[in-house]
Amino acid sequence: MSRRAFRAMGTEIELLVDADDAERTLDAAEAEFHRLEALLSRFRPDSELSRLNEAGSLEAGPDLCRVLGLALVARERTGGRFDPTVHDAVVAAGYDRSFEHVPADADGGTAVRRTPAAHDDVVVDGSAVRLTGVRLDLGGIGKGYAAERTAEILAAAGPCLVNAGGDIATRGGAWTVGVETAAEPLTLELSGASGLATSGRDRRRWRRDGRELHHLIDPRTGAPSESDLLRVTVVAPDAVEAEIAAKSLFLAGAEAAAAEADEAGIPSVLVTADGRTVVAGGLA
Amino acid sequence: MTSHTGRLYAAALSLVVFFLAWAVVASRPWAAAAADPRLRALALRESQLRHEAKLVQAAVARRQAVYRAALKARNARIAAAASASSAAPATSSAVRVVNLPPLTITRTS
Repeated sequence: MSRRAFRAMGTEIELLVDADDAERTLDAAEAEFHRLEALLSRFRPDSELSRLNEAGSLEAGPDLCRVLGLALVARERTGGRFDPTVHDAVVAAGYDRSFEHVPADADGGTAVRRTPAAHDDVVVDGSAVRLTGVRLDLGGIGKGYAAERTAEILAAAGPCLVNAGGDIATRGGAWTVGVETAAEPLTLELSGASGLATSGRDRRRWRRDGRELHHLIDPRTGAPSESDLLRVTVVAPDAVEAEIAAKSLFLAGAEAAAAEADEAGIPSVLVTADGRTVVAGGLA
Repeated sequence: MTSHTGRLYAAALSLVVFFLAWAVVASRPWAAAAADPRLRALALRESQLRHEAKLVQAAVARRQAVYRAALKARNARIAAAASASSAAPATSSAVRVVNLPPLTITRTS
C-alpha cells in the first residue's frame, strides 16, 4: 500500500493506492490536485474562479466549465438547497480568507439578503461564462471534483482512495472509512467506484459579535444554516454527488433529511445537534 | 316544294346541318390519333413513378415493421432494467457497515 499526504484546498489530502512503488503516479495525482486548486480557489486572486468573480465574465477552461455545469445542475435538482452563488453570503459571514486565517472571534459578520436565484444569474455558453449580480463559491464541489480527477489518475496504478478532507473518492478494491457519530464511530466499507462526503457545522466555525457562525450557508436566508443537524455523511456514486447530497440533506434538517434519504435510497449517517445518530437510506 | 313554309323549314335545317358540321371540324377528331410525343412520355413517366412509389411504400412498411418490433423489444429490456434497478437496494454492492478498523476517516470538510 502506497500513501501520500499533503495540504491543498485548505485541508488535508490523503492518497492511498493498493500498489507498491506508485511514487510517480502519486506525484502526478498530487500535481493534479494542486493544478485544480490553482483554478478553483476563491482565495487565490489569480485563479480562474477569482478572475471570473472579479470580472463577471470569462472564457473559462474545461475544468471550471465542468464544475460550474455540475453545480448548476445540482442547484436545479436540489431546489436551490445546493447553490454555488452563496459566495457573498459566506464572505459577509466572515469566511473571507483561507480558513486558517479567519479570526476565531471578532466583531461583524452579517447575513446577506438573498433574492431567489434567477435562472440567468450564471450563464455558461460553451466556454463563455457570465455572472449577473452574483459571485461563485465552488469550495465543496471543487474538492469533490478534484478527488474524482485525482482518483482517475491513481487508478492507473491500482485500486485507490482519495480523501480530500472528508470528501472521498474510490476506484476498485474495498476501503473502510470511519464516520464520526454522536457515540462510537461507525465504519463503512466502500467498494468499487464510490464517493463519500461529510458536511457539517462542527468544524469551520467562528464567532462574530458573540454569535457562532459556520460555513454552511442556507441560500434561502443568506446566513449560516440553523439546521438541527450537526453533521451529515453521505455515500453516492462519486464524490461530487456525495458532496451535493450531504450539503442538501444538511440544509433540509434531520426529519426531512432522513425521509429524503430513505425515499431516494441515499446511504446517509445523520448526526443531530442534540446528540442523536440516524442511519438512513438503506445503510446497514 | 314551293310553299313558303316548306322553304323556311329547309333553310332552318340547312343552318342546323351547317353548325353541326362546324362543330365536328372544330373538335379535330383526327388530332387525337396523333397525340403530342411529350404528353405520351409524361404519361409513361407518371405510370413508372406510380409503380416505383408502390415499391417504396412496400419497403417503408417492411422497415417500419422491423423497427417497431425492435423498439418493442428495446422498451421491454428498458422496463426490465428499470424494474430490476428499483427493486435492488441502492446500497447493495457499494457500501455496508462493517466491524473492521478504518483505513481512513471522514469528517466535516
